[in-house]
Amino acid sequence: MKTLATDFLLKESPNAIAIVDTKLNFINYSNQWQSDFTPNKTDIIGKHLFDVISEMPILFNNAIKVGLTDKENINAGQKFILPSGKVQWLKWKISPIRNDINILEGLVIYLEDITADKRDLELLQTAETVAKIGGWEVDLQKNSLYWTKTTKDIHEVPEDFIPDLAQGINFYKEGIHREKITELVSAAIEEGKPWDTELIIITAKGNEIWVRAKGEVEAVNDKPIRIIGTFQDIDERKKIELAHEEISERLKLATQTSQIGIWEYDLIENELIWDNAMYNIFGVDENQFAGVFEAWESTIHPDDKEKALKATNDAIIGVKDFDEEFRIKLQNGEVKYIKGLSKTIRDLKGKPIKMTGANWDITMLRSTELKLERSTESFTETFDNAAIGMALISPELKWLKVNKSLLTSLGYSEKELLGMRTTDITHPDDLESSTKTVFNGVKDTYQLQKRYFHKNGHIVYAIIGVTPVKDLDGNPSHAIAQFLDITDRIEGEKRLETLVEVTKSQNDSLLNFAHIVSHNLRSHSTNMTMLAKFLSQEEDEKELKNINRMITDAAESLSETIAHLNDVVQVKTGALKNLQSISVLNTIEQIKKSIGGLLEKQEAIIKIDIKNSHFVNAVPAYLESIFLNILTNALKYSSPDRTPLIEIKSQLKKETVLISFKDNGQGIDLKRHSDKIFGMYKTFHKHKDAKGIGLFITKNQIEAMGGSIKIESVVDQGTTIFIELNKI
Amino acid sequence: MKKVQVCCIIDDDPIFIYGTKRIIKEVDFAENIIVYNNGQEAVDGLKEIINEGGFLPEVIFLDLNMPIMNGWEFLEEYKNCQYDISKKTTIYIISSSVDPRDLERVKHYNEVDMYILKPITPDDLGKILSSTTV
Repeated sequence: MKTLATDFLLKESPNAIAIVDTKLNFINYSNQWQSDFTPNKTDIIGKHLFDVISEMPILFNNAIKVGLTDKENINAGQKFILPSGKVQWLKWKISPIRNDINILEGLVIYLEDITADKRDLELLQTAETVAKIGGWEVDLQKNSLYWTKTTKDIHEVPEDFIPDLAQGINFYKEGIHREKITELVSAAIEEGKPWDTELIIITAKGNEIWVRAKGEVEAVNDKPIRIIGTFQDIDERKKIELAHEEISERLKLATQTSQIGIWEYDLIENELIWDNAMYNIFGVDENQFAGVFEAWESTIHPDDKEKALKATNDAIIGVKDFDEEFRIKLQNGEVKYIKGLSKTIRDLKGKPIKMTGANWDITMLRSTELKLERSTESFTETFDNAAIGMALISPELKWLKVNKSLLTSLGYSEKELLGMRTTDITHPDDLESSTKTVFNGVKDTYQLQKRYFHKNGHIVYAIIGVTPVKDLDGNPSHAIAQFLDITDRIEGEKRLETLVEVTKSQNDSLLNFAHIVSHNLRSHSTNMTMLAKFLSQEEDEKELKNINRMITDAAESLSETIAHLNDVVQVKTGALKNLQSISVLNTIEQIKKSIGGLLEKQEAIIKIDIKNSHFVNAVPAYLESIFLNILTNALKYSSPDRTPLIEIKSQLKKETVLISFKDNGQGIDLKRHSDKIFGMYKTFHKHKDAKGIGLFITKNQIEAMGGSIKIESVVDQGTTIFIELNKI
Repeated sequence: MKKVQVCCIIDDDPIFIYGTKRIIKEVDFAENIIVYNNGQEAVDGLKEIINEGGFLPEVIFLDLNMPIMNGWEFLEEYKNCQYDISKKTTIYIISSSVDPRDLERVKHYNEVDMYILKPITPDDLGKILSSTTV
């Protein structure tokens, strides 16, 4: 049966074919068999099959046995794991050979090792699953769509799902995604254009995912027949990418609006990269920027260069990250304050390779800080040196800070005052209008006059202005109080008021005086006129004499009145020029001596209880006149029933000496006469010498010396006169 | 002309009293003249006259400035005493004071008929006489 032709055909077959006899010894084989399954490519004719191919799956051995039973056995391709662990894909066909008389002669074995092909396919499938890349194919002639398993998985459809083209497109999200894929597919069919796009599909389960779809057109004679492509689930990556994009965009916006410049410096290459904000901040034209470290260095203000370079060096060698404020000098001479932060990036060995960082302009901040500093400084200076009192007061009304002027006004030391509340030294009547009103928000500021107590007890008058200071939350944190001490002014006003009062009373008394003068002068002059008239008519000698005597009396009275008036005017106009320190006791003794005769005549007794240390500030002549007047009055109006007794005492008061003259005389009905007791020409007793001028002058003299006079009296018991005169 | 029965002078100035008496005689103004040296004496004297049922003066010449009790005080006392009102007594203030406050004050007393500035003249008395007799 062997022919040369068949032998040749067999030998040259591209497949591995062997012919064995029924004992499984090789009869013939193809070159391919020799190449694929024969070790060392030796001639194997006559050798046993299993001697040549040692390691085969059991299934193959069984197939051979089946072949020997005259039955054909075909294996279209199967994966075998051999006992040695080797993976082998084999494909075979075993056919019995019969002779002419139909007796089994042997087997034709067609065997193919498809491991290499199968492995590629398997890897591809695994790769598809792992990479979530599916494949698909559109047969444009049949208008059918094929999806691989992974593609179906991505669409979340079951494995037996059979898609069509329209369905495939409808998975894309309505709107730009679906429009886009339609457009791309159309372009591919019409123009043969491939595509590669990223779009959103809605899966069968309703999930929205990002996919990457690639498509390529296969054409025959310029006619597209097939589109094949891949379909990849890129949802995770895309979302990260989108998020990253968003963050980047946000960062970009943030750095743009805040004018934060970002830079990166390659330490190895000395390459400095700036973003736009950096150019703005540093006032450098992008086209003129050298892009090296020295370009940055040159912008730094000479005074800050050393500091900045040291900080940079520290950052590079790892002492500490760059975190500095420095000044730069722009080309136009402008100086800016810059805040800079940076990180140094190192390789695995810790060698610095890169720096990246941010710079921003803090000129405004710095200048605001400087202004604040200056303003604080000037406030402190103003506060400390102000001519008016100033204080900071807490909402609890405690003194927080006080200046020298205030301490001077109030007489306290700083330490003493800081331990007190404002209310501690405020006059009780002025507490109502307290500073509280500005703290509880009733008033923004207020200004008013208040009284305080000086440390030594006297009242300090002040105009105070209070302004609350609010903290960041708008609550009052403290108040600034200004304190204008007007004590001198108020006291001046009071003195002025007293002066006005005195002047007024002096005016009144002057008016009275003028009327008194006119009255007295008139009464004497009219008397004289009248008498003169009588004189001219009278003829009787005796009567003439009488009239003459009366004229003389009237003239005397007139001159006496004029003398009195002169005395009064003297007192009124006599200034306090002649005030001097006089011993009360000496003056009394002197007067006592001068009226010795009168005392003796009336057998009067004078008891003197005056310390010789008591001195008053007085005009000597006035003091004598006053004492004389009082003593003579006491004698003049003594009681006829009693021996006159006059007791003179003196007593020291705060600023005065009180001298009292107590007699046991007739007394004066003060209920009737109190208003005119010291009036001019007021007399209250039937006494020939009563002129009504003594006490009037006495009072005027005392008042002219800044003293006062009071009287107490009981009719028929006696009178006490109190005189108060200033001490030195 | 009918003259005044009893005329009273209340004044502390002897010269004035002398002069007034003299003029009263000159013009034959009054039958009798009573003199008091101050308000208190006058009050006491007039009370005595009432008690004894004597003639009260029809005309009183009253000075203002006097010791012990001045003219004003006398007027207060006089107002408060219930004299025989059936017989009219006219009071004339005779004073040296030209103080307008005194002139004003006089208006508050109905008892006072006129304020006569010293010295008193015969003409003054003549006018008084004619007014009292009408």
